[in-house]
Amino acid sequence: MNIVDFDNIHRAYQRGADVLNGVTFSIGAGRVVGLVGKNGAGKTTLLRVAMGMLEAQQGAVRLFGLDPRRDPLEVKRRIGFVSEDQILPPFLKVEQVLDLHRGLFPTWDDSITRDLIDRFGIPAQTKIKALSKGQARQVALLCAVAHKPELLLLDEPAAGLDPASRRDFLETSIQLLNETGSTILFSSHYMSDVERLADRIVMLHEGRVLIDSELDELREHYSLALVPHNGGTSRTTLLSLEGCLGARDRSDALHAVFNLEPESTSRLLETELGITDLLCSRIALEDMFIELAGGQQ
Amino acid sequence: MQFVIVPGSELPIYRQIMRQVTDALSGGRLQPGDKLTSQRELAEQLVVSPLTVKKAYDELEREGLISTLRGRGTFVTAAAVATDPRQQRERLRPVVRQLLSRARLSGVTVEAVAKLLYEEEQQWNTERKRQS
Repeated sequence: MNIVDFDNIHRAYQRGADVLNGVTFSIGAGRVVGLVGKNGAGKTTLLRVAMGMLEAQQGAVRLFGLDPRRDPLEVKRRIGFVSEDQILPPFLKVEQVLDLHRGLFPTWDDSITRDLIDRFGIPAQTKIKALSKGQARQVALLCAVAHKPELLLLDEPAAGLDPASRRDFLETSIQLLNETGSTILFSSHYMSDVERLADRIVMLHEGRVLIDSELDELREHYSLALVPHNGGTSRTTLLSLEGCLGARDRSDALHAVFNLEPESTSRLLETELGITDLLCSRIALEDMFIELAGGQQ
Repeated sequence: MQFVIVPGSELPIYRQIMRQVTDALSGGRLQPGDKLTSQRELAEQLVVSPLTVKKAYDELEREGLISTLRGRGTFVTAAAVATDPRQQRERLRPVVRQLLSRARLSGVTVEAVAKLLYEEEQQWNTERKRQS
């Protein structure tokens, strides 16, 4: 059984302005999926739908086969959640916040808690409001993982953290994976973090899934073609080709991303459009993101 | 053995790990019977997903270069250094491919590249003679 199923999720905040416009994908047990896409692509909305914090206007979401709005307690007991704008009670001490969570989860593990407190070096007697942003996020992460959830939902968990705290965060996530084999769905703008943690990426674009691929396949089966302007090829022509995911009109050349290996892309462009003077190369995740989500100029 | 990985490279991380093991084997830095870092430890050391490390080790095991003994660890097999010339040759293919694409970009022909290789080989030999 899948841990997460999104089936044709639609969600708009205003009539006619869809944030999610038919999102469908599933996540099997033990998988780590990086959710990427530019701001406004729908990542946070999708995670909130998964949490049951927002209702899908069309389509269905299931966690462990359950509807998070019908069985909120059962679902929340089995997941951990961290978001960028999560608010912990500012006047409580770290210790009190942990106690609060311990009381909520029967599966709470004190040895994980102690390990992480030591690792992060968080003083347990400090009030939340006196913590740095990085420390507060670490406490939030601790609260999300100490009950050994089957599924972790992380919404931009590393946003706003300095590189050292980000690395701590990643190391903790990897330890957690080592120890429990949890399933993780996390959104991030840090492509290098995505490459380290995820084994699959889902890229949202304009409320839909534009790419859903194993990370390794992404690098082995996609390519970037730089098509010179002088041949008179247009962006629309490139976009009409099968396998073309996006094309940008840039000053140096037309940049087009294909769901094909570089050699096949060259061959396709030669046979379909007679273009021979182009450059085709493999494409790294960060460049893929920029090519597909970036502006025209 | 020490591993180094570079995220953002066009080579997937599991392949980076595999390549370092095969390079260490052909360079003699890894010998049959040597124990490799455990998957869990390596994942934490490199700060990459345990699934990625598993994928690399599984591939290496499939190629017969390493073998995991339950409860004891992962070891380099005796077959790993038995030099199958065809396999050794195949390992060079990615490097050659890279070389060719560089050559093509700068308009250097395959013949010129071959000539370069011979020149380098001669240079190498004379330098080795001088040293010994």
